[in-house]
Amino acid sequence: MPVIIVSADDFQQGREIAHRVAGVLGYRFLGRDLLARVAQEKQVSQQDLARALDEPPGLLSRRSRRQRLLSEIEAACLEQLLEDNVVAYGLAAHLYVRGVSHVLKVRIINEPEQRANILAQTGNIPLERARKLAQRQTGGERRWSQDAYQLDQTDPSLYDMVLSLGTLEQDKAVEIICDMVGYRKFQPMTYSRKCLRDKALAAQVRLALMERFPDIRVEANDGTVVAYIQSLKKDQRKKQEQVRQMAGELPGVRHVEVHVIRDYFGQAAQSSR
Amino acid sequence: MAIITISRGSYSKGREVAEKVGSRLGYAVVSRDVLLGASEQFHIPEVKLVRAIHDAPSILDRFSHGRYCYLAYIQSALAERAVNDNLVYHGLAGHLLLKGVPHVLKVRIIADLEARVAAEMKREGLSQGQARELLLRDDAERRKWTQNLYGVDPWDASLYDLVIHINQLTVDDAVDFIVQAASRECFQSTPESQQKMEDLALACRVKAALVKDDCVDVAVTSQFGNVMVYTKQGDRRSHRLEDRVKPLVKRIPGINHLEVRTGQPFPPEAC
Repeated sequence: MPVIIVSADDFQQGREIAHRVAGVLGYRFLGRDLLARVAQEKQVSQQDLARALDEPPGLLSRRSRRQRLLSEIEAACLEQLLEDNVVAYGLAAHLYVRGVSHVLKVRIINEPEQRANILAQTGNIPLERARKLAQRQTGGERRWSQDAYQLDQTDPSLYDMVLSLGTLEQDKAVEIICDMVGYRKFQPMTYSRKCLRDKALAAQVRLALMERFPDIRVEANDGTVVAYIQSLKKDQRKKQEQVRQMAGELPGVRHVEVHVIRDYFGQAAQSSR
Repeated sequence: MAIITISRGSYSKGREVAEKVGSRLGYAVVSRDVLLGASEQFHIPEVKLVRAIHDAPSILDRFSHGRYCYLAYIQSALAERAVNDNLVYHGLAGHLLLKGVPHVLKVRIIADLEARVAAEMKREGLSQGQARELLLRDDAERRKWTQNLYGVDPWDASLYDLVIHINQLTVDDAVDFIVQAASRECFQSTPESQQKMEDLALACRVKAALVKDDCVDVAVTSQFGNVMVYTKQGDRRSHRLEDRVKPLVKRIPGINHLEVRTGQPFPPEAC
């Protein structure tokens, strides 16, 4: 049965809808509870993980650490999504699970005025300030997703459907999502399951290698892993061998191919010394 | 009993969706007919109206107000159609032209660029590069048009009640969802929402008449037939406007009272 990924501009509302969808369909709800498990297994702070998912990059934030935390979440989430019948929410899965046909992606939004009203009520602030806050939050969401995944998460083309709670009530949104799951196109097939398995494997390999190679990009296809790394010409062989060895030890990896992208900035810096 | 506006990019299958929704619900489906109606009613060549609703305004247009006038005619023609209810409108800016009417279901249909390119290549016999370039230019033009005239981005999902991505979901799936949503109580016309629609149509009629009479840069609202004409200009020019506004009470049926308000900002619900 399909996997459902819900994204929302209001965290609480989205969470409630995702929960209700999981309840109606009898699916497992995969939410921020996953962070506690990742924190325990990887010895990182749960707060840091949540912050990496929520906060837009600041001027002084350490990008590499944030990317690492996000990769931890991504790898753990993808592993969970390999089992069917899951409703995922709040883990940014809509940004890294793309091109998998049995994954249904829905975004829930509010009309700008309605969103400002919610913020004014929950934060007990004047409406004018709430409007500005809503605008700032949307901008922040955009900056966050562009920085972390080079995608704008407010772009409707990332989703199969966008539902506005301005006119549709929550009940209707839940009903529509549950209806969509029944469509034949969202049923898992051998190929779509393979695509998801490939993504999970690529995420595991990337996570294992990213401390040593922070800019690494990984693709996987049926156990064959293709890694793209940056390197100076003189280190190329050594690094390729390291990647091959480190990735080859991971479960599920049958063959490793390493492509080197020439590090021109590093080369220029070296030659000017 | 609802009005459905479907916003779409070219080759996004929005037309197909609109036609199927119309036939499923037994609603009238309009798009180009609105332009034809405006062309006949206001004696403007259709090609000028097509350009007004398609091409982004140039710098010269900003001075000549030509495009704003044509838009007033188009809005008036659409509002006349929408007063009769049970309507599916597909085309640019339907959701903006019928703003403030509660029983309008605003839908946007989107499709992947690659699928659109393939459709255009097949239909127009173009190469991949040509088709892609044309589509991207068309998208940019539409974006600029809406941003210049309404200050919003048509790609912004918060302008719509429902955005459907035709990729995994087929045209028939999209039709199912739209029909389902349109049957919701909130999209059924009530005496109050119908009154709002009639007020919008009346305000559009007044604005079109004023624009035809060379009174540009005005905004019009109506409440139960009480029409307000807003102008940002000060008192000196307002007498001239009042002289042109007064005869409209006799010319346009449905006006109870007509008032000119000068030097005031335009209310957001005004057309």
